[in-house]
Amino acid sequence: MNKLIMGRYLPGDSLIYQLDPRGKFLLTFYFVGIVFFANNVASYVFLMAFVLFAVYLSKINFGFFIKGLRPIFWLILFTVLLQLFFTPSSHPIWHWGFLTLSKESMVIASYIFVRFVLIIFISTLLTLTTTPIEISDSIESILKPLKKVNFPVTQVALMLSIALRFVPLLVDETTKIMDAQRARGVDFGEGGLIKRIKSFVPILIPLFVSSFSIAYDLAIAMESRGYKDGEGRSKYRVLKWSKRDNVTVLVMLAVTIILLFIRSY
Amino acid sequence: MEITFEHVTHSYDANSPMANLGLDDVSLKINDKKFTAIVGQTGSGKSTLVRHINALLKPTAGKIIVGDRVITSETNNKNLKPLRKKVGMVFQFPESQLFEETVEKDIMFGPMNFGFSESEAKDAAHKMIELVGLNQDYLQKSPFDLSGGQMRRVAIAGVLASNPETIILDEPTAGLDPVGRHEIMDLFKSLQTKGKTIILITHNMDDVANYADEMAVMSQGKLVASGLPSDVFNSQKLLEDDLLTLPQSAQFAQSLAKKYFQFDKLPITIDELSAEIKQQVNGD
Amino acid sequence: MEKIISIKNLNYTYPDSKKPAINNLTVDIYKNEWLSIVGKNGSGKSTLTKLIDGLIDADSGTIEIDGQEINEKNIWEVRTKIGIVFQNPDHQFVGATVEDDVAFGLENQGMPREQMVKEVDHALELVGMHKFKKRDPQTLSGGQKQRVAIAGVLATRPQIIIMDESTSMLDPEGRRTVLNLIQELRQQQDLTIISITHDISETELSQRIVVLNDGQIVRDDIPRNIYDMGTDLSKYGLEEPFSDELMSTLRNSVELPESYLNEEELMKRLWKLRSNM
Repeated sequence: MNKLIMGRYLPGDSLIYQLDPRGKFLLTFYFVGIVFFANNVASYVFLMAFVLFAVYLSKINFGFFIKGLRPIFWLILFTVLLQLFFTPSSHPIWHWGFLTLSKESMVIASYIFVRFVLIIFISTLLTLTTTPIEISDSIESILKPLKKVNFPVTQVALMLSIALRFVPLLVDETTKIMDAQRARGVDFGEGGLIKRIKSFVPILIPLFVSSFSIAYDLAIAMESRGYKDGEGRSKYRVLKWSKRDNVTVLVMLAVTIILLFIRSY
Repeated sequence: MEITFEHVTHSYDANSPMANLGLDDVSLKINDKKFTAIVGQTGSGKSTLVRHINALLKPTAGKIIVGDRVITSETNNKNLKPLRKKVGMVFQFPESQLFEETVEKDIMFGPMNFGFSESEAKDAAHKMIELVGLNQDYLQKSPFDLSGGQMRRVAIAGVLASNPETIILDEPTAGLDPVGRHEIMDLFKSLQTKGKTIILITHNMDDVANYADEMAVMSQGKLVASGLPSDVFNSQKLLEDDLLTLPQSAQFAQSLAKKYFQFDKLPITIDELSAEIKQQVNGD
Repeated sequence: MEKIISIKNLNYTYPDSKKPAINNLTVDIYKNEWLSIVGKNGSGKSTLTKLIDGLIDADSGTIEIDGQEINEKNIWEVRTKIGIVFQNPDHQFVGATVEDDVAFGLENQGMPREQMVKEVDHALELVGMHKFKKRDPQTLSGGQKQRVAIAGVLATRPQIIIMDESTSMLDPEGRRTVLNLIQELRQQQDLTIISITHDISETELSQRIVVLNDGQIVRDDIPRNIYDMGTDLSKYGLEEPFSDELMSTLRNSVELPESYLNEEELMKRLWKLRSNM
């Protein structure tokens, strides 16, 4: 569970880590967008080479990226198989009932597969090299203009960062409570649906209780340290846009231009 | 119940690039009907070790024999109830496991899961509430209206109510005031005299000296010593390597031995210390 | 001695309770003193902390901090003079990393960033946690987390630090480092320390012990005189000191004084008896 939500960040200090998170955040979305422009072997190979180069620059064990594929492995398989056997074709190599297999469908299926891999690798790269708090800072910074319409950007950002801070704590608490109830004879995931849902009551109630007590303690601690209402606060954490971020943007621009040249029309 | 660990290794996140060893080739025998203390610094693997006894964790390698059950990496998640009924576990800050509307229902929760009839479970609740030092009036209260110390007692009652043969305690007195601490520790000692096997994880060396028959010392996932407390606390090597601190009586004896006094073996309880001092002061 | 906190006839009853949590309590606390407040669970110790910091409002009575009576207008200013380190290290860690957490109080004051960076470094150096600056709290031990909490409190340069059972959830090693640190800081930084505790060794470091029971002060004395209560101490949530317990088991055959001796004094006495043989 921990691995799913958090703990994705891997401490490190390679070039990718040092990039401004706002840039990383926006460029990742941008890249996911331009992946859809690729439409031939050359363009996919080119994008793949670019992603692998970025992975190389991050100096992170390749295994982590492969692991990133695992949670949605079935979705990938399903989509690829769907493309493989259900793409109608006038020159099928093989067919059985409504299933057809053709050269085109094989090509399309492999494109889809590569597209998945590209998107997952690049977003894994973002989450592995960017702490949740940096992402939350980026969101704050990107949403800043909304302050003009009285949207409480700083308060929301603090809320978000505190929530992020407490996720691992609550995950630990959940594991502990689950273990305690298991030791008292609860079987999770056994019996019918009703029984299964019921077996979560002994976890949810203690979890609510401890969340409230954490929230209360934290509120008292924050007040005792002079937190009023978010107004008049200064910021310790600053995001710095530097030369290498400019370079990254230029690289991304170059990638886009090359991509537009080599894709087929 | 006798519990035997045979070359047990446990690796967290075994298949991930971040794998780390929680237990490293631990072999240990915990004797039936004894009070065994497990000590070691935070993160030394004590909690990981005991979570194998009721199969909350399974070994990556090696096996654990609990009575007539063998737990290995292959052990199925089904059919663990008989084991968990025999091995009761009081977690750190166990009050966080309470969830029922009344204290009585909460104490009955474990027994009912383990197949007690409602009247048997009710009966157990009535007995246990007294055993942990609260009276019957508490049964109909909401556990969330109690003080922290009372909640702790209710949680302990909830574990004892299933009448486990072995009781594992993970720092059960953390955060209690001294009176509460002694009461709870005395309760566990009395359960042992009634035939239960007690396993206690603790940082309090005086509790080890005063209550335990046997002890095991963990460090970085490894078992570094086990045996009688009087022997283990006299192991020069453990103390030099900073793997163990001494009970107060032994510390006092150590300082006292700087002049005039001599101890062949460090006394570990206040009674032993007092007897030694009397003998040496009043002449042999 | 100069007073830093002066509490007069303080009363407080929780909204859902009939019994007062603080009952007509009067006490003075002096500059640079280390005061221990002891008492059973539920004797009103933590309530008193919250009242002193204005986190809850008293029903009646007055609290003066550094010559200023707390009221709604000056509470935020008064609060900057007091830092509290709470019991659960995980429930008071606001920042995503060590440095962020230490900066939290300074951010609240609106301190310019350049100055903040200096103050954060300084505070982390004082508690010996500077090399953990970038670390995530999850990777720290309990004792280390409490040291960060102390740094967070020190950064705003308070005059008073309240330790609200801050060592009770730590292992012996963590407890030792935190107490040594507090001891050191009190001397270096001219701080007043109020520590709420069940731990006898923590009270040994203090100059004065106030014993609370049912929201009232039942004893207010130097530690030595408090320890003279012997086994009665347990009524107030404190353990009998080891030396006292040992003396009572020795008295029937070894000649010892009736009054309290600390471990060192007892040892000297025993050596003397032994050498006279």
